[in-house]
Amino acid sequence: MVLEGLRNAVTKFLKGGSTYKDSVEEFIKDLQRELIKSDVNIKLVKELSENIKKKALEEEPPSGISRKEWFIKIVYDELSNLFGGDTTPDVEPKKIPWIILLVGVQGSGKTTTAGKLASFYVKKGYKVGLVAADTYRPGAYEQLKMLSNLSGAMFYGDQNNNKAEEISINGVEYFKNKNADIIIIDTAGRHGYGNEKSLLDEMRNISNKVKPDEVILVLDSSIGQKAFDLAKQFHETTPIGSIIVTKLDGTAKGGGVLSAIAATGARVKFIGTGEKIDELELFNPSKFVSRLLGLGDL
Amino acid sequence: MFEGLKKAFQKLSNTIKDKVEYKELKEDDVEEVLEDLKLDMIENDVAFDVAENIIENVKKELIGYKVKRGESVEDVIKDSLKNSIMKLMEYENNDIITKIKNKCSKNEPFVIVFLGINGVGKTTTIAKFSNVLKKNNISVVIAGADTFRAGAQEQIDVHAKRLDIPIIKGQYGGDPASVAYNAILYAKSRGICTVLIDTAGRMHSDVDLMEELKKIIRVTKPDMKVLVVDALTGNDAVEQARLFNDNIGIDAIIITKIDADVKGGVAISVSSITKKPIIYLGYGQSYEDLKKFDPKEYVNNLFD
Repeated sequence: MVLEGLRNAVTKFLKGGSTYKDSVEEFIKDLQRELIKSDVNIKLVKELSENIKKKALEEEPPSGISRKEWFIKIVYDELSNLFGGDTTPDVEPKKIPWIILLVGVQGSGKTTTAGKLASFYVKKGYKVGLVAADTYRPGAYEQLKMLSNLSGAMFYGDQNNNKAEEISINGVEYFKNKNADIIIIDTAGRHGYGNEKSLLDEMRNISNKVKPDEVILVLDSSIGQKAFDLAKQFHETTPIGSIIVTKLDGTAKGGGVLSAIAATGARVKFIGTGEKIDELELFNPSKFVSRLLGLGDL
Repeated sequence: MFEGLKKAFQKLSNTIKDKVEYKELKEDDVEEVLEDLKLDMIENDVAFDVAENIIENVKKELIGYKVKRGESVEDVIKDSLKNSIMKLMEYENNDIITKIKNKCSKNEPFVIVFLGINGVGKTTTIAKFSNVLKKNNISVVIAGADTFRAGAQEQIDVHAKRLDIPIIKGQYGGDPASVAYNAILYAKSRGICTVLIDTAGRMHSDVDLMEELKKIIRVTKPDMKVLVVDALTGNDAVEQARLFNDNIGIDAIIITKIDADVKGGVAISVSSITKKPIIYLGYGQSYEDLKKFDPKEYVNNLFD
């Protein structure tokens, strides 16, 4: 799925005939190329590859381990650290009710993801409520309502109200009275540049009023070099707690995710792998990096 | 918009200017700066392979070029870059409004299918384009042939009502091709000039959904297939453009979300891969936010 070209680079490196230093430098070049082609922010690519190169050339491998194997371990560690290290994300609510606010750019997949998240938690036995706080996009209300039926979650929306902030507050109140365990608020898409600056204020206001326990940035895996700046802007408006990456069933390499992580310090919790309500998987960084390096578990 | 690319081009010409005034350009003179320029272009979302291609072309043109006394090196380089990019963007683009009017004058509706991956903005773009047609006094009917995504029918219905345009809807789970076909019959029986077919978003790599799309194309025999691409897309724009073009065949491109402070490179990428014209840019969420694409203006903007 992601960075498949790296596998070839690893194989080439492990076979390699030239000196260690030359092989490292060649591998770094391949790594940079693959990361850039996968839409990782260019500055981040430079930083990452410099770190790896420095470690690989200046530090000595522990005894009994070949230089080359040790180098691959460095690459693996650096990449997997970027994704949050060797742990699977914790997705259990820390308190009840647990309020989740979904934010993201137009068309990134927030509403569909809201339905998927609801389905995920309903299956775990939680009582889930969905709040339709997108007052801009036509059909957003109906879309979330249909998804709440599919997922077995409760639904709150108000088509006569165009104030997203009020709907969010009322929705949270409504579901607290219904003893919901998890409340998921779906918001309108926004990018926050130019004319859409005011939409960032709306997002901030919703957040200030409902005080979510978790703000999740929903990110399209095909996003390009704008990912870093965009995620940073979202983060500065409403601190991003976690990230869900969508549309990973296509051909996008998903490198923009790394940029978003770097900009927000947030963890990737889930990945979306299709349009259907159950096509949501827990994100596992070490598996992810092992797979992209073609190594199996280290 | 496009500040990054502008800066990149300026930087390049300044560096070369210092190095090589009044002499023949050698590979060494341009190698390093062009490598820098390549990264700058990629940073502005020109896809990796496309950027490499452009740089190769520029390099070929520049090496061996004799800079004449009195001739500005800056202009030489600018022209070379401009030409190279312009070549990638300028494809025959007969005005779509004229095409529609021509066909309509023969009492036949002009049928346009909109396609693309999920969430790029197909439905909103159809609403905006309907608005353009209305302003040109061209009648239109919309076919809500996305019978899959929750809320899709309601979404397009709201747009049609707001714009006061007839719409043929479908049942969720129903056959999208028959919805589209019904819209064409509706247009024919009422002398309506244009049929705009909204299709469900689908991954270009999803074989089953591509087959469904092919069926819609077979049944409706559209005059035009328009690929909608999100301007925030990175290198995947190339894959999207290539696979839709190879599997379905596209005639034109619309780039959306250009107002998200995008770097603009995606237009260069998709144009160069498909060799098809970009016809409109979407730059906001209201009906007015659609403007005709002008390659000259676009490329000149990068260099101003």
